[in-house]
Amino acid sequence: MDFEPTPYNIPLGFLYWLIVTGFGTIVVLVVTLLALLITRGTKGFGDFLNLLSSAALDIVQISPRRVGAITRLTFLEAIRRRALLVFVVFAILFMFAGWFLSGGTLVPDFQVKLYVSFVLRAIAWLVLPVALLLSCWGIPEDIKQRSLHTVVTKPVRRLEVVLGRMLGFGLINTLVLLVMAVAGYVWLQQQIDEKARPELTCRRPVFGQLTFLDREGKPAATGINVGDIWEYRSYIEGATRARAIWKFAGIDESALNKDGELILENRFSAFRSHKGQMGRSLLYQLVFVNPETGLRVGTQLRQVAEFRGRTDAIPRTLPKAGEAIGGKITEEAGETVDLINDLVSPSGELVVEAVCIDPGQYMGMARPDLFIRTPDGSFLAGYAKSILGLAMMVLLIVFLGVAASTFLKGPVATLLTFCLVLVGMTAREFMMTIVSGRFEGGGPIESVYRIVLHMNPTQELPTGIAFQSMHLMDLAIRQFVWLIFQIIPNFDYFNMAPYLANGFDVSFNASVLPSIAVTLAFFLPCLLLGYFCLRVRELEAK
Amino acid sequence: MSTSGSAAEPVIEIRNLTKVYRDFWGRRKVRAVNSLSLDVKKGEVFGLLGPNGSGKTTTIKMLLGLLFPTEGEISILGRPATDVAKNERIGYLPEESYLYRFLTAEETLDFYGRLFDMPASVRKERTEKLLSLVKITHARKRQLKEYSKGMTRRIGLAQALINDPDLVLLDEPTSGLDPLGNRDMKDLILQLKEQGKTVLMCSHLLADVQDVCDRIAILYGGELKVLGRVDELLKSRDETQILTSKLSDDAINEVRAVLQKHGASLNQIDHPTSNLEDLFLKTVQESVERPGHRVIMDDTTRSRGA
Repeated sequence: MDFEPTPYNIPLGFLYWLIVTGFGTIVVLVVTLLALLITRGTKGFGDFLNLLSSAALDIVQISPRRVGAITRLTFLEAIRRRALLVFVVFAILFMFAGWFLSGGTLVPDFQVKLYVSFVLRAIAWLVLPVALLLSCWGIPEDIKQRSLHTVVTKPVRRLEVVLGRMLGFGLINTLVLLVMAVAGYVWLQQQIDEKARPELTCRRPVFGQLTFLDREGKPAATGINVGDIWEYRSYIEGATRARAIWKFAGIDESALNKDGELILENRFSAFRSHKGQMGRSLLYQLVFVNPETGLRVGTQLRQVAEFRGRTDAIPRTLPKAGEAIGGKITEEAGETVDLINDLVSPSGELVVEAVCIDPGQYMGMARPDLFIRTPDGSFLAGYAKSILGLAMMVLLIVFLGVAASTFLKGPVATLLTFCLVLVGMTAREFMMTIVSGRFEGGGPIESVYRIVLHMNPTQELPTGIAFQSMHLMDLAIRQFVWLIFQIIPNFDYFNMAPYLANGFDVSFNASVLPSIAVTLAFFLPCLLLGYFCLRVRELEAK
Repeated sequence: MSTSGSAAEPVIEIRNLTKVYRDFWGRRKVRAVNSLSLDVKKGEVFGLLGPNGSGKTTTIKMLLGLLFPTEGEISILGRPATDVAKNERIGYLPEESYLYRFLTAEETLDFYGRLFDMPASVRKERTEKLLSLVKITHARKRQLKEYSKGMTRRIGLAQALINDPDLVLLDEPTSGLDPLGNRDMKDLILQLKEQGKTVLMCSHLLADVQDVCDRIAILYGGELKVLGRVDELLKSRDETQILTSKLSDDAINEVRAVLQKHGASLNQIDHPTSNLEDLFLKTVQESVERPGHRVIMDDTTRSRGA
């Protein structure tokens, strides 16, 4: 898994927000117009124009006190209808979880991974049904019980009803989430073994760009494939001129830890073509290179920690050693170099070369397998950011659920929202494949045609109007799927558990900010959709 | 009972109001209200009567914007029915008290007060006053789900009055109330009238309507069948009623002789009376037998019996 946080592009994100919002608004308007034309006939168009003008008025005249009253009502309703019983499930789950997780038998980092994943997933999967059921059933029950009659016959705008409901359900779910988060954090602190505690951290990696030199020292795009089907890692051959070269940018003194060391963490793998030396793993050497001056300094030889990560603390002041030749390092007596001043270029670039020492053996690596570990962040802060991501997910579900519940009955609204969540979590990649058109056998209609006629996907189709029409229909279907693809939110943004579980910091820019942006992007369309649906709906109609 | 003059400002104006319920596919299911036209004047208590399914509640819900008319126009306090701003001056007691059962009486009134954007001090003052008015101060801290039906009606009425409305719409206001509560409710309606407020109520309890309403309309099958002042509609026009102080037997015999001399007979010593229930049942029966028949005795409405 690539943990490199891709910085969030705010202008691009804002543009995407505008596209989603604009698109959502158009959908709301079209759906409303159609609903009015169906229910009101030709008068629908005039009503539609009236609706737009009164909607503008409703937005301007929105009253915080009324919205607050409905928010408070929603909050009280959820509490008094025993929504908080979810805590009982949560408590039972966590009381007995220790029996099944058997953390004591695990290596520390794996124990942390297992426990942190469990806590964050348990919270997410317990809050999700609460958010789904509360938000999807609130307004339909209000309509069914007709309690909404006594509200909308007061000077309450339906926009205020929808907004109040959204805020109320958002508030109660956030409260539930916060309580669970605190309980989960305390549980983690108590359950994780003493020896594994140091793994409860948030590493802040700086990743570099990876290039290779082949065994003759010539640049190569990749290393050697040692026969793995999965070509994730490339290998370099030992005791040759093969190198894996990482180029890091933006390095300065802030990358050093409090002891003035540069921490490099790697997860190299070893591939042996012979037994090698028994009792030790493969040897490797890291060589630091100043990309501008060409100064090269080798470090001491280290063993590859197979199947686990290894951390190398490089002191700021290094002996001016050379590269290992025949397993021996030459050192210029008494001479030292400063890691930051001598090896990092003025533009902040640092090159690190990994060399496999053992002849006939291979060392494998991918780009994220070596990174500079800048001072770790607090686990609590990372945990809080993960919870914030979950809170954004819960809010998004609430927005979708409330919007759906304004035009559907409770069970149907729940089903629709659940489907949106499920597709947003699992099927976006598949939809993307359809949208991109990069699939064998053509679009849906062409595929059916090929299946019926037992045609190979690579076989050329005949030409003619019928086939052109078929392609056009496939194109239309693809465009439709594209529209759906845009409507369905990407729930991947909210899942920050893998970062934290693997001991990495949750990047605010790369993870938290996009999750907030996605939630905000859907807030306005959901609010408008809910408002318009409730506005054009006859509340008394069965 | 004071009367409302025909020149009084109309608070509710309904013109050719029609409501057709349709199914999911847009096919016509039922015509709940058909070409209904009537006015409700400022300061009067107006009763909307009719058997089940006659369109009373549908009419009230169209007035409140809960349902949309298929045809026709509604003006309520000078504004269209869908205008939210009109609700500032309206109080509505629904047929059942559709309140939030998990709230206490105090919380209920405070919640509805907030919906009128009332400051906390005003809400508190109104809450105290209304709890006392509907006589449920003792149960102010109890959730509504623990209330009896009568108590729920009372708190329902209190929420309808939270904004001190100019127009009060009451749907079956006395249903579920015991005789005392019933009397209180009727007194309260009359009290509202004395304060110059307009009340539109619909009820099946005809005696209650007769007690408090100035004018009534009887609907049948969604159509207006009777409209007029209660006292006018109940008057027996084939007979003459002379109210005198108590007469002796001799005096009665002399009156009888005088009447015989003028070719009239003394049918009954008691006063001739009718009641609303008779009128109601007669109207329903006539509507079945003579669908086009109408009795309109209202000086403000021009349409008269067909």
